[in-house]
Amino acid sequence: MDAASFQFVLFGLCAAIVSNMRSSPAWRSVVLFLTSLVFLELLSHNPIVLLPLAGFLLLGYAGLILIRRGWLRSAAGSILAVILVYVWLKKYSFLPDETFLRVPYFTLGLSYIFFRVLQLLIRAGDGSEKRQVGFGAYLLYTLNFTTLVSGPIQRYDEFARDQFSAEPIALGPRVIGLQLERIVRGLFKVNVVAMLLQAVHEDAVAQMSQPLPLTHKLTAAFTLAVAYPFFLYSNFSGYIDIVIALARLMRVRLPENFDRPFSASSFLDFWNRWHITLSTWLKNYVYNPLLLALTRRTSSKALTPFFGVLSFFVTFFLVGIWHGRTSEFAFFGVLQGGGVAINKLWQIGMARVLGRNGCKALAKNPIYIAFGRGLTFSWFAFSLIWFWAGWKQIDKVFSSIRAVQWLGVWLAIWLCATVVLAFWEWLREGLLSIGAAERPLLTNRYVRVVYASALGLVVFVMTVLLNQPAPDIVYKAF
Amino acid sequence: MIGPNVTNSKAVEESRLPRRDWFLLPLLSLLTICCLIAGSELTARGLFEWRPGVQNCVVLNDPLGQHGIPNSVCREKEPETSTVEYRFNSCGHRTGMECGPKPDGSYRIVLTGSSLAMGLRVTREETIAALLPTELSLRTGRKIELYNTAVAVMEGGTPRSVALRFDDVLAAKPDMVLWILGPWDIEHVSTLYVEQKRSSAARPVSLVQKVMQYRDQVVSLSPHAINEAIIDVFHRSRTALLLQHYMYENQSLYVKHFLIGSDESQGFLKAEPSAALKSKMQQFDRYTAEIAGRTKAAGVPLVAVFLPNRAQAAMISRGEWPDDYDPFELDLALRDIVTRHGGVYVDILPDFRNVPNPEVHYFPVDGHPNASGHAVISEMLARALTNGAIPELRAASAPPAESEKGN
Repeated sequence: MDAASFQFVLFGLCAAIVSNMRSSPAWRSVVLFLTSLVFLELLSHNPIVLLPLAGFLLLGYAGLILIRRGWLRSAAGSILAVILVYVWLKKYSFLPDETFLRVPYFTLGLSYIFFRVLQLLIRAGDGSEKRQVGFGAYLLYTLNFTTLVSGPIQRYDEFARDQFSAEPIALGPRVIGLQLERIVRGLFKVNVVAMLLQAVHEDAVAQMSQPLPLTHKLTAAFTLAVAYPFFLYSNFSGYIDIVIALARLMRVRLPENFDRPFSASSFLDFWNRWHITLSTWLKNYVYNPLLLALTRRTSSKALTPFFGVLSFFVTFFLVGIWHGRTSEFAFFGVLQGGGVAINKLWQIGMARVLGRNGCKALAKNPIYIAFGRGLTFSWFAFSLIWFWAGWKQIDKVFSSIRAVQWLGVWLAIWLCATVVLAFWEWLREGLLSIGAAERPLLTNRYVRVVYASALGLVVFVMTVLLNQPAPDIVYKAF
Repeated sequence: MIGPNVTNSKAVEESRLPRRDWFLLPLLSLLTICCLIAGSELTARGLFEWRPGVQNCVVLNDPLGQHGIPNSVCREKEPETSTVEYRFNSCGHRTGMECGPKPDGSYRIVLTGSSLAMGLRVTREETIAALLPTELSLRTGRKIELYNTAVAVMEGGTPRSVALRFDDVLAAKPDMVLWILGPWDIEHVSTLYVEQKRSSAARPVSLVQKVMQYRDQVVSLSPHAINEAIIDVFHRSRTALLLQHYMYENQSLYVKHFLIGSDESQGFLKAEPSAALKSKMQQFDRYTAEIAGRTKAAGVPLVAVFLPNRAQAAMISRGEWPDDYDPFELDLALRDIVTRHGGVYVDILPDFRNVPNPEVHYFPVDGHPNASGHAVISEMLARALTNGAIPELRAASAPPAESEKGN
């Protein structure tokens, strides 16, 4: 079962129907647990391959028990153990090859389970999670089929609030309608937009190594850089749309993972809008403790902003490392960390040059915002090259035209992104201003039905026409 | 789906929907879908006009293989093409000359094969048959003419019908016989067009009749088959054709789609041929033996060339394909058969490595080469024929440099 297929949606809808037959938390938990187990079985095909994952879950729960019972002085030991076992199961390349398990095993969703388990351990360690987490609740939280494959990374307290509430959150026709619309939108993003963009990207990559005239190669270079961020966004956010809607139909609110990321006017802002649950998790459990630890070690106020820069770099470098075990992902992390660190340095520098008020005025300047948005997109598109390609392919792509020509391509991307994204923001604002201020015409349910029906038809037509599965959810691999 | 315990005020508010909306919203959805379907179909029909016509100039159901009606002229507008004229000479061939003896001192190539050789979907002046003799004359310094005997409209021109109509080829007094093959010729190696098919395919069917036919089919079928029927109806729509036309312009999308097709259509690209393909190759072997025997008896060299289809050309150009595929496999097998029977096999498939985006030289949905495709293939063929494979056609001067290829 593909993660964003019609089968998956049908599976989720069936689970939602059964789950809503009774509103008792026990019934809904049993339904969620059983559907999650069936989902795991459908994905793995063989229960034996799930054993390492089961071991990982048991290790996490054992750590939790040890902390709860006070048998461990701090959570550090169990956190370290969980991290080490995760790194080992994910076969990070810095570990000796001989240490890895030789048998094939299931790691789908492990990265997301890892975050959930770590979060429980950290909160148990610092005492912020007062509730006892029973083994059933622990399994339900970590194996929830709506968040298993690619997140979003939900906090335990948020999950427990909705899942175990005696009075579940409301689910009326309006909510159902909105969730169905969101599912259609998600299917459209994954099965139509992402599929087409992936094809465009693949063609552009292939063209870079073909004997084509320079203008064609420059166009291909531009296309391969620009298409991938949009592909990744459609692919990942489409899947997230589907699972958020399915979970909501099961009366659980999952956190949002995207907030129009290409509207971000700076790289720091971008990471507040892209894979929000991952960046929030890392900000809470890496950035904040690290910054606190660094500032505690020195009394120099002048250094404090630079500790922020360093903490940002470390946090977003870890974002890269989390994505994969290869050196390409480490470099991707350097580019992410570098991006946010330079952005922070720029803010510090501008504050010193222009003063606080000058900075605020500049941040409101529409031209500055537009260029910032274009630059943010360009940097992200550039960094993604290490996300989708290996070193060999990167070398092939970059050596197909000269460095100065690449520079021209990136300059063109920056300028185009500036103009196109600014136009999009203007258009969006204009469209949303039609109708009453508190209820724009485009959010009217009649308009939404028309829009969702049209998208649904397009999804059906494209599925029938191309008769091929949509590209796999990229974040499924992490 | 509303749980029994949902009693809080917010829940009540949430569950309220004006009564009219229970009818209005589904109706609006249905209306949107109907409007979109009708609108897109009308647009597609406006953009992709279709006026069939070439079959009116061809005797389709001759037990000895298809042939053109002598001195006939037909025009056809296929959705992806411009209007193409098909003019047949007094012998029923689509060639730019009358049938009869060749002029003194000229070297005559007689072309045979299926739709690729006939130049289906392309005006005659832009076909391989028209371009190749000019290319060859330039390269060899000799006067070379090409007489095209290929006639293939619906399932015509298969190796079996080429063998059946080989008298036409020899009657044109060739100095060389050029047989153009494509994947389709192997898939339909022994197909002969029959009257029944023509009657159902060519007879105009009104929209009402079509609807009635589908209704009958749908009523008598299972839910799965109904689903299949809906998909089939959609595939026959002009909207589907329009969408496919634009989507198939993308190389990777097209190749992926082609490779998940039926084994009959893409099986020839497999590294390990299926039993069905092996059987077809055996049949091809028999027809080749017959054709080669007759050319040998007439003292004329037989030259065969295999032209890739759109997906195959794209795979070769890209240089990558899935592990269990090999776009050169069929080419090698054909070479073996043709040369074993004493024919000359001209291999132009590797030349497609130097053609960037070769799919642009084909009509995306129809799959036949377009005018630029015929030009590219003619150049490749001319190069291959003058490199010494046929002594009489050896190039007078050095062949063009490798870098000139394909662009």
